[in-house]
Amino acid sequence: MKEKDAYIDYEPQQLIMYVEKEDGSYGPIQTGSYISKNYLDDFWDKMMKLRNSLLEKLKKNEITPIYFYKLIHDFNDVELSRRTGIPVFKVKRHQKLKSFKTIKLSEMQKYAYAFDIPVSNLLQAIVIEGNEDKVDSDIMQQPILVKQTRTENPYLVITKIELNKK
Amino acid sequence: MIIESFNHKMAAHCESGSLTALLQHKGLEITEPMIFGLGSGLYFGYLSRTPNLSFPMFILRTKPGKLRKKLAKRTDIKFVTQRFKDQDKAEQETDRLISEGIPVACQVDFYYMDYIPQWERVHANIHFITIVGKEGDEYIVSDSYFPKLARIHKDNLRKARFAGGYLAPKGFMYYIESVPERIDYKKLVPVALKNTVNNMIGVQPPFIGVRGIRTFAKKLQGWPKLTRDIDHLSHEVMKINVFLEDQGTGGGGFRYLYATFLRQASEALGNKDLVEMSKKMMEIGDGWRKISYFAAKIGKYRDLGPEKLEELGDLINKMADVEEVFYKELKIVSNNI
Repeated sequence: MKEKDAYIDYEPQQLIMYVEKEDGSYGPIQTGSYISKNYLDDFWDKMMKLRNSLLEKLKKNEITPIYFYKLIHDFNDVELSRRTGIPVFKVKRHQKLKSFKTIKLSEMQKYAYAFDIPVSNLLQAIVIEGNEDKVDSDIMQQPILVKQTRTENPYLVITKIELNKK
Repeated sequence: MIIESFNHKMAAHCESGSLTALLQHKGLEITEPMIFGLGSGLYFGYLSRTPNLSFPMFILRTKPGKLRKKLAKRTDIKFVTQRFKDQDKAEQETDRLISEGIPVACQVDFYYMDYIPQWERVHANIHFITIVGKEGDEYIVSDSYFPKLARIHKDNLRKARFAGGYLAPKGFMYYIESVPERIDYKKLVPVALKNTVNNMIGVQPPFIGVRGIRTFAKKLQGWPKLTRDIDHLSHEVMKINVFLEDQGTGGGGFRYLYATFLRQASEALGNKDLVEMSKKMMEIGDGWRKISYFAAKIGKYRDLGPEKLEELGDLINKMADVEEVFYKELKIVSNNI
């Protein structure tokens, strides 16, 4: 690739590309991401659609929170099993509505760790009215912020609702 | 404290980038393309039966860690590697090395690198960062994919180093004990080239090398059956662009990086044949870039009918043909060095 064709003006995501320079030598340049510059809105659109459709199913009690987060994090059953240390057969079972209520608190904790969320979030969805369709980076620009802080108690999280001072 | 003598630079790829930075910090003059080429990093694999993957994917370089292992085997570079069961011990050892002024490369789950834009962060236990300092509860990190030194909270780093799952890092870290005064390129380049040729057109399973590229072209036609809906299919097709360009390849699925290696090898050995091969590899990179643009476009517009996927498959098959010819030529060139 010629150097002049490789430059993409996109500051938020920079990367290194190897190109043929003006003098014919080959070497690196720092440039922006082509796909993020041109198609990031499409990516967020798909992610929000997926999240909202899963949330709807969750509200109607058609899927379990384990299934919800598994898809959001793009894990399959084997990967989720390895990340939690819970056997695959149990991971499969915990995604069924009938069996969700049989999950032990210690297992909930393992799932929450793998999904990088507080345990309590497996049983609640925190939504700010009017923000349902906004991506997380947009939410940081909103007047109200929700911050969750872990405590030394592994089962307790402090959820603070704050005015955005930015 | 921060190890002031460490020079942070972005790099095309995290593993070759962190290796290069550590070697340069130790005083060895070497470039990222040289590391990549001498470690025979170029590869192709279509992975559809790996139990941990939620969807088939393709890889364009050798397994994480292989670059370092091959360099250690082929050169006199001495690495010290460690894995840990105890998370506290891993942290203590990292702190000890930093306090002694030794930068340490760590394998991590990319998802937890919270200084990287959110849309880039996916769960992948194959990312390498270099720890170059610590201030309070934060580590100072040199990441090849970030323009400046970054900071990460110790709890986040711990999660990243001990994430479970496929290729779990298990606290893996390494640093460089010693480097040779010079690298014997005359001896190493042919060995590295032959290894790459073998990876791509040698006796390999049908999902590896050039045969793997053809498998990819064929299996791609069945992707609609594997997806939930058109958005999911679009997402997976657009990831072809991400794998080829954005996930630390240097563009064109590592082919531009390899072309630069061939050019630098030609200069080191005074070999004109390698100049020609580098030009051909640069063109191959352009071919892959065309594929990545095409995939992004049809994904965005949900133009994902059988004809379009077939068109994409044809472009990929064409690359398999061109690459097959290339590696056959490279084999002859490497035999004549």
